[in-house]
Amino acid sequence: MNKFKGNKKGTDKVISVYWFAILFIVAGGIVYMVSAFYGNPYDVREIEAGLLSDKTAGCISYAGYLREGVLSQEFKDNFPERCNLNFEVEDTYGWKEQGQYFLKLNFYDFNSYPAANSLFEISAGNPNLDDSCNLEGEQMPFCLERELYVLAEDGKPYTVKIISAIGKTEKNIQ
Amino acid sequence: MFKPNKKGNILTENIIFIVLNLAFLIILLVFLFSKTGGAAVLEEKYAKQIALIVDAAEPGMTIDLEMGDAVKIAEKEKFPLSQMVTRNGNIINVRLREGSRGYSYSFFNDVAVNGNLNENKTGYYFVITENE
Repeated sequence: MNKFKGNKKGTDKVISVYWFAILFIVAGGIVYMVSAFYGNPYDVREIEAGLLSDKTAGCISYAGYLREGVLSQEFKDNFPERCNLNFEVEDTYGWKEQGQYFLKLNFYDFNSYPAANSLFEISAGNPNLDDSCNLEGEQMPFCLERELYVLAEDGKPYTVKIISAIGKTEKNIQ
Repeated sequence: MFKPNKKGNILTENIIFIVLNLAFLIILLVFLFSKTGGAAVLEEKYAKQIALIVDAAEPGMTIDLEMGDAVKIAEKEKFPLSQMVTRNGNIINVRLREGSRGYSYSFFNDVAVNGNLNENKTGYYFVITENE
């Protein structure tokens, strides 16, 4: 026969201690998850890089055809102005000196792509961001690579590779 | 004559237990709401949202952005609604309270953006035109 007889009052107290322990654990979990989610900044660089690529694609081509003068030195030299791009950024974290955007366009002959070298290259922004694209780590710029197929005025097909990189790590990653 | 009995003790214990649980739950909810609807979170959210909207916009567009939650906070903080969203060059700044610098985020689209409080004072509308 069991000698130990627990009374109801004691059991109730033990249950309430466990109840509060569970409550604290659950609350701790919620607080941790909420803090982790809202404590980190929203990372919008993927959307930003996508928009930059889209805008660039729209700037160099229309309805599948390369716009006039894109493959010219004049366009290359004035690329940001011709495409209405402004890479100025806020003067925090030393961003202004470094630049937080990078954009590179490589034009390849469609028939020999990707084996052949680029026929024409246009770039703007901070080239250091491009160098960091293949590196691993958390505090790295976001890089997006897209390709599109276009026809030149003379009917020659091109593959255009657009690489857009966004820095802004301090405001998008904690 | 009134005599406190055992049943009465149980009731008191239960009430304390329920009150403590409720207090705990309320503290948790206050924490959640302060985190999710805080001025700093909304400043960041809207600054980035507006910058992305402008990046995606074309000259000639007018974009209406509902900012009811931010307006509520600005009103509570007695911050002028007309100064909630400001633009300096291609940098958008959203500020909802006095004494704060707000949150700034840049956009790359080289267009002119004119932001104004809408008629109902529930948000802003942005008129996108070509930069001169």
